[in-house]
Amino acid sequence: MTTLEDFTKFYNTTLLGDLKALEQERRKIAFKLTCVIVTVLSIVGVCLLIWRIRNVIIPALIAPAVLCVLAGVVVCHFMTKGYVARFKSLVIGKIVHFIDENLDYNADECIDKTTFMLSKIFTTKPNRYKGDDLVWGKTGATEIKFSEIKAEHESGSGKNRRRYTIFKGLFFIGDFNKHFTCETVVLPDTAEKLFGHFGQKLQSMNIFRGELIKLEDPEFEDHFVVYGDDQIQARYILSTSLMERIVEFRKKTGRKIYLSFVGSKVFVAVSYTKSLFEPRLFRTLLDFEPVREYFEDLQLAIGIVDDLNLNTRIWSKQ
Amino acid sequence: MWVVIVIGVVVLFAVIFIYNSLIAKKNQVKNIFGTIDALLKKRYDLLPNLIATVKAYMQHEKDLLREITEMRAKAVSGRMSDDEQVVLDNKLSKMLGGIMVAVENYPDLKANENFMQLQRTMNELEEQISAARRAYNAAVTTYNNAVEMFPTNLAASMMGYKTKKVFEISPEQRENVDADKIFEN
Repeated sequence: MTTLEDFTKFYNTTLLGDLKALEQERRKIAFKLTCVIVTVLSIVGVCLLIWRIRNVIIPALIAPAVLCVLAGVVVCHFMTKGYVARFKSLVIGKIVHFIDENLDYNADECIDKTTFMLSKIFTTKPNRYKGDDLVWGKTGATEIKFSEIKAEHESGSGKNRRRYTIFKGLFFIGDFNKHFTCETVVLPDTAEKLFGHFGQKLQSMNIFRGELIKLEDPEFEDHFVVYGDDQIQARYILSTSLMERIVEFRKKTGRKIYLSFVGSKVFVAVSYTKSLFEPRLFRTLLDFEPVREYFEDLQLAIGIVDDLNLNTRIWSKQ
Repeated sequence: MWVVIVIGVVVLFAVIFIYNSLIAKKNQVKNIFGTIDALLKKRYDLLPNLIATVKAYMQHEKDLLREITEMRAKAVSGRMSDDEQVVLDNKLSKMLGGIMVAVENYPDLKANENFMQLQRTMNELEEQISAARRAYNAAVTTYNNAVEMFPTNLAASMMGYKTKKVFEISPEQRENVDADKIFEN
């Protein structure tokens, strides 16, 4: 596994040159963006001032103010688009190849909605779904694929419009090292943590999920709840060592994690509040900190293979 | 009057629920035990193949291989009680573990394609057996809780249900497989 020390060397020898070139571009764009934002804010400010002085809403002023804001958003989007694409292919793409040269990267693609739903981790179907930064390929003996995903569900209209986030973060798919035909879902445990034994009773009555599977590892049971359609196969998948590894992985990420085992594949969803692998326009690129963060997030996703020991192929699946 | 009827209906539903849940728990235990049985049979079917493959290579473990063959013959004869069967299966698991470790001394065998495939299948089977035992223990624990806890214990004693034993790992099995020790016997 690539260490931070190796990455620091790679940063100084390879990445820094590209970052310096991109930094020039970033400064120019940041300046232009500032001009656009100041102009838009000035126009909106003038409109508000007139409204305040006259103490009456003048329809003729609303239209230019709204149009101005919209135009500002569109201009900002087009101004940054090329830069973001160049940044991703130069920086994120290179970090991916540095961690594992067998992996490919595409900044615009993501894991599709059908696959997302196939994982059975989330039961609500999103009607707003987007993502980017798709990484795929074979690391060791394991085929993997992951990307950033934002899945939301929107209901109602007008003032009653409600939107809630089903999932936002990193979504990973890997080829599991054992054959199985069942479906097993591992979710963060909230009911049992809040209500103890009664919570477990509630979990066993969850009609949207399969059978509740109670496992022997107390630490694992503290953090996760497992549902599945086969008690034995679920335990075949979740061996005692894999349970320990999942608990360790949860500690390592410090985030909410969801797993599922469907169709001989393992799906892992790691929840994030921030947007992943995005350049920061108003902060210098020559700072190591954000680049280290990109590396650590990518390393975390690619490292799932080692964390869950997916390259161990001592069973009939090779 | 209505209060009495309502209480009567609630009690009736509670009795039906307890009765059905006890039967479901008992059947779950039986069902998983059946799966363990099926997996063990699968292992017995695989053994002659494994022994035939390793026999040609393993010169120093002839006695052990013969013992495994005899144990298999005894197991498939079906003339053993459940407890004897469990003891035999545990012993067999340990011996097979020993063979897999002894393979390290035979590079030619390790490279044999047929053996590699068999080894993978055996690993898979051992893990499936272990998973089925864990599932059995979980089902027995749920069943035993119902048999011993109030109010289900009242119905359980009326139905003649008794607690069942879980699979226990002997201290010997908890230790790592020591091939030398096995072959000394």
